[in-house]
Amino acid sequence: MTIRNTLRDHGQRYRPRMACLKKAEKLLLEMQDPKTGVKSQPQRLVITTIPHAITGEDIIAWLADRFQVDTQEARNFVSMLVALGYIYPLQDHRRLVIKPDASLYRFQTPYFWPTQQWPVEDTDYAIYLAKRNIRKRGILELHEQEHYNRLHKWMNHKWDFVVMQAKEQYRAAKERKKPDRVVFECQERAYWVVHRPPPGTVSAMDYGLDRLTDPNADEVTGLLCCSFKHYTPLTRSLCFLCSRRLVKYCSTYKSHDPFLSNCLPSNPWLTDDATYWSLNMPSVEIPTKMRVERWTFSFAELLSDPRGRDDFRLFLKKEFSGENLAFWEGCEDLKWGEAATMREKAEHIYKTFLARGAPRWINIDGKTMEVTVKGLKHPHRYVLDPAQTHIYMLMKKDSYGRYQKSPVFKDTVKKAICPEEHRYSDAQLQQNAKKRRPSLSPIILRQMEQEQRAKMAANVDITQVMSKLSKQGKEAPPPFLAPPLRNKHKRVMFRDFYRRI
Amino acid sequence: SSHVKAMGKDECKTMLDALNKVTACYRHLVIALGSTSDSQNLREELKRTRKKAQELAVANRTKLTSLLKDKSISKDDRAEYERLWVLFSSSMELLEVDMKRSLEIGQDFPLKVPTRHLIQTGMTGSTTTVAARAMSVQNMKYEADSNIDTADLRDLQCEISQVSQMMEEMEMKVQVAPWAVEAKQEAGAELKSNMSVGNSSVGVISICEEEPKEEDGGGNRDAGFASICAVLVFFVIVTVAVVLGYLVINMS
Repeated sequence: MTIRNTLRDHGQRYRPRMACLKKAEKLLLEMQDPKTGVKSQPQRLVITTIPHAITGEDIIAWLADRFQVDTQEARNFVSMLVALGYIYPLQDHRRLVIKPDASLYRFQTPYFWPTQQWPVEDTDYAIYLAKRNIRKRGILELHEQEHYNRLHKWMNHKWDFVVMQAKEQYRAAKERKKPDRVVFECQERAYWVVHRPPPGTVSAMDYGLDRLTDPNADEVTGLLCCSFKHYTPLTRSLCFLCSRRLVKYCSTYKSHDPFLSNCLPSNPWLTDDATYWSLNMPSVEIPTKMRVERWTFSFAELLSDPRGRDDFRLFLKKEFSGENLAFWEGCEDLKWGEAATMREKAEHIYKTFLARGAPRWINIDGKTMEVTVKGLKHPHRYVLDPAQTHIYMLMKKDSYGRYQKSPVFKDTVKKAICPEEHRYSDAQLQQNAKKRRPSLSPIILRQMEQEQRAKMAANVDITQVMSKLSKQGKEAPPPFLAPPLRNKHKRVMFRDFYRRI
Repeated sequence: SSHVKAMGKDECKTMLDALNKVTACYRHLVIALGSTSDSQNLREELKRTRKKAQELAVANRTKLTSLLKDKSISKDDRAEYERLWVLFSSSMELLEVDMKRSLEIGQDFPLKVPTRHLIQTGMTGSTTTVAARAMSVQNMKYEADSNIDTADLRDLQCEISQVSQMMEEMEMKVQVAPWAVEAKQEAGAELKSNMSVGNSSVGVISICEEEPKEEDGGGNRDAGFASICAVLVFFVIVTVAVVLGYLVINMS
């Protein structure tokens, strides 16, 4: 059997999410009242006259009066009703917007009202497209033709039924009088504009997943109703702290959020121009100003951005403390990597960073080192967590501050670009839409990443070279390559000593 | 027996066509529910169309199950019966959904309550011709009680459960893989159909497809073009007549 309507209410699973639909229906019924409802007028066409047409300004005025709101609010409300499909435009049927002038609209019949309980079936859409083919050849638009071909392919087993039913429905519709026939065609067409929107528009019925709670049911009282003054002082202070942090976060990131402010040069989802993405690729030569600004917000931001990390790595290389970052990256690789290679990775990290006399020895305190070495006897993903946290905090408190004042960073800031905002006309936007191409395949991106990582691993660190040389038999290594000292303070002195040379 | 089988297949196809027709008409009637086309008559039409659909469904099911159960049929025959089965079950799915929706809308729009208004959809004509087509009669005779809009709903609920039960039984008992069926029609088959479009529908279409800049000009443009053609032809004929007349006069 074909897979039938799967949205059966198995007790608790399915709940309506769009509470607005029931409310809109009540409102629609109020609008029908001959005395207090919306004023309707006949629509005069060439051949015939069809009653019950309403003007945009009338609906908006009625709504503003009914809810005692201003015209703009009423207009937003009505545009939602039109987008959902309760009212459809008679002219310019592809654009479901409300025009506050004498443009005509009509109410949709209850069968075609938007509803979540009856999912929109592809079979019905196929029948509709076949009916339009029957009525007039070559009438299907490009996106409808594409839908038609796709449906014919995957619904092929039902195609005989689709054609038969389309013919019968067409004949049944012809039985009615001309005005009713016109109305029916307009209704059906409006229904499918809502549920299979033309490209460049979004269906208002695209509501995502079904929720577990029914917003139309009686509200749960009790927990949700307790007011702020009943909270304990501790809870209250925590609330304040959280809200303050939230406010700070929002104010910091507000200008960087593409939803809240313009993203430069233009939002690719809106203008179909992918410059924004190509300028913000993970390993781009010259980053954008906004990106560089984000690196100053927090150390985590800097590290999570691959370009920022590259910059930071460059800075650390100049300071000869690149092993910290390399160790941190190794730990991340261990945490998120495959289980099969975990053991080897852990051993490699130990040999490179933690063992006595390791080529890239990192400076962590004695207790952490003890814990880590003990844990490495039975390595697991998180065995290096304490050491990683220690190094992370070290970098954050020490190197990060100096990085921001360093010439490397200042140079990057100077070179960062701030692209001009695009201003596209409607015609150019359509051109852009036609030129849309898929982006690089993720497989290729991953290969590029791996190549880069291999290149970096091949890049020999100067300390590694020197320490190798020192192992090759020189008796007393030069002073600046003395075995790294365990104490953090001594380490700082050692660096100063180097600088003096 | 092959003759009997061929007859069985044809009979099946006829019954399926009938079921298909009734399903299409039923859908058209349900679409009118709740709108200004709604009336007592519509409710009665729905009831009778529904009952006819159910009778046809049961008859089809019996016939098809008996045909499919026959183990001695050839592979081609079996493929054909499976195709017919898919047609039948798709029809039934459509019918079931429409019945459930008619129950829902019927409950939301009772006819007798003065405060519940019907939706002003612009459709005001009756659906009696559609119902007559479904019932295969010339004219519909209406003989139902005046409280059909509420009384029928109880019957409808029973019938819906019957249909759902029947479909579940069908799922269980008949082992047909619908995705294995290949359709006979290619894409765009309906374009080659010789269904008469007719001038009136073309006028209707041009109204429906009107763009904002054209508005009523779409229909006007067609009519204007035709009238210009007629005027030109008239003038040509008059000119020819004048020339001929002049020649005749000159000759005599």
